[in-house]
Amino acid sequence: MNEARQDAVSAVALDRVSFRYPGSAAGVQEVSLDIAPGELVVCIGPSGCGKTTLLRIIAGFLKPDSGTIRLKGNDVGTLPTRSRECGIVFQSYALFPHMRVWENVAYPLRVRGVALHERRKRALAMLDQVGLGGFAERLPAQLSGGQQQRVALGRALVFEPHALLLDEPLSALDAATRMTMRDEVRRIQRQHDIASLLITHDQDEALSLADRVIVMRDGRIVQDAPPLAIYDTPADDFVANFVGRANLIDGTAAGPDAVDTPLGRLATRAHGRPPGTAVRLLVRPERIELVRVAGGENVLAARAARDRFFGASRRVEAAVGTGRLEIETNARDTIEYVRIPRDAIQFLHHP
Amino acid sequence: MLPRWITGFYLVYLAIPIVLLVVGSFGHLWLNTVLPTGFTMQWYLDVAADPSFRRAFVASLAVAAISCAACVALGLPLAYAIFRARSPAVRSLSRVLYQLPVALPPLVLAFGFILVFSSDTLPWLGSIWLLAAGHVVLGLPYFLQTVVADMQRLGLDALEDAADSLGSSGWQRFGYVVVPSLRQSILAGLIIVAALSLGEFQFSNLVAGFLNRTYPVVLLQAFYGATGFACAATVVLLLLALAAAVAGGVVSGGTARMKVAAA
Repeated sequence: MNEARQDAVSAVALDRVSFRYPGSAAGVQEVSLDIAPGELVVCIGPSGCGKTTLLRIIAGFLKPDSGTIRLKGNDVGTLPTRSRECGIVFQSYALFPHMRVWENVAYPLRVRGVALHERRKRALAMLDQVGLGGFAERLPAQLSGGQQQRVALGRALVFEPHALLLDEPLSALDAATRMTMRDEVRRIQRQHDIASLLITHDQDEALSLADRVIVMRDGRIVQDAPPLAIYDTPADDFVANFVGRANLIDGTAAGPDAVDTPLGRLATRAHGRPPGTAVRLLVRPERIELVRVAGGENVLAARAARDRFFGASRRVEAAVGTGRLEIETNARDTIEYVRIPRDAIQFLHHP
Repeated sequence: MLPRWITGFYLVYLAIPIVLLVVGSFGHLWLNTVLPTGFTMQWYLDVAADPSFRRAFVASLAVAAISCAACVALGLPLAYAIFRARSPAVRSLSRVLYQLPVALPPLVLAFGFILVFSSDTLPWLGSIWLLAAGHVVLGLPYFLQTVVADMQRLGLDALEDAADSLGSSGWQRFGYVVVPSLRQSILAGLIIVAALSLGEFQFSNLVAGFLNRTYPVVLLQAFYGATGFACAATVVLLLLALAAAVAGGVVSGGTARMKVAAA
């Protein structure tokens, strides 16, 4: 988010929005969220965390029990979906099967009374933008998954909506297409400079696409931060575990810059907690180094309990002291000693 | 090899009665021989000239048309309600309920109609409308089955959500998205309803009045007369049913071909 935009009116603003599905505890609770114009916010969380509910509330498919929703500064709480001007890309694409590709893209213009000639022209221009020129006369069933996704994106943008909402748009694609479409979604979103909310359960997608990531759990936002901050300084052990892999180590403070753990005594950054305080530490597996000789700060004897090879990386579960440590490395050596650099150790709030 | 033989045998078995009917309808004389002797068009001319057959032909078409119209008018909203039902219990219950008439012998339905509509307050027994009403009861389950299955296959709820988000009013959504995307299954359902209605005998025979007998009901009388005449009259019914099926096939296949050709 750049400085000039912070003063501008948020494209999407939720203030303490709550919704509960009748007869269940599921829903969202007290969710507040701002999306600046042109910003891409990715919402990530396990299934059932309320992320799709959140999207459906913004789109107007669900009416919140409390809280306010503003789009470009206007309270849209009472507006039906069709008047909210949100472009939505659905997980299943939801292309109209009986309409050709250009007719699908032109549909929002058709219901707005745009003349045939004009709407065809605009639909074709949009198809060019999403890389589907030449496919205009096909039917959706004759396109691949990635191509259908492009049509859905074009259709959601052609009427210049206030915001773009994407509900797990890439989850139905195969791995290779997903990578390409991830970049395409980003490119097209940038090109249109439109405030966007993308829902996903894929952490790679979240970290690589987002200007800002919100992590949800049990209907609440547990962290709202740029991708780097989500990964490097997760708010709690849930975020640490859900975004990326994590070694969570419980211990007790042993001095101003040391902690006793099942792995042994670890030297840490100065933390200032009185000795005996319970702490929880986070160490990312790729920050742990393999060393050949004993001795030195935070060098611990390790024995591989499980060793899996993934090509570019190798993931080892090692027994260290009385604890376990997950290590990600590209070294081929036998595991004998590991070193945990001080700055790789973070303190999480102890639950 | 064996499956081929079985398939071949089955096809012959299917075709023999029809072939014999067609042969018989052009035969001049057919008494105590395997095949008729002589060739004539006379039986068809006789059927065409017979006033009760002409009337029955028209009545059958009318009943089928009314049944089809009623199935769309009733079936589309019903199918939609079943598809959109929130609770799975309601959906499975409605499925059982709307499939019930399939298990119901038309004879039972006819007795019920006779009991209700032979009274002085509801003296409608024998009208074309009552015939169509019965055929709707018999045909609606097949129509619903076809359309509901298509709604589920298409993921109609997501299509409707998409239409909403793109700015459609309720009518635009219905007219531009819901009906056109279902047109194949609506048509397929109607072909079944029309074919059922055109060929239905049990119910029609009991409920039809003397003036509004449908074609199959009148056809039964033909078998008390000349064999050639009976064959010719039956072939007419066969052609009628075939025409309905082919018309349906052409329309649905035609749109599909058009789409492919356009691509």
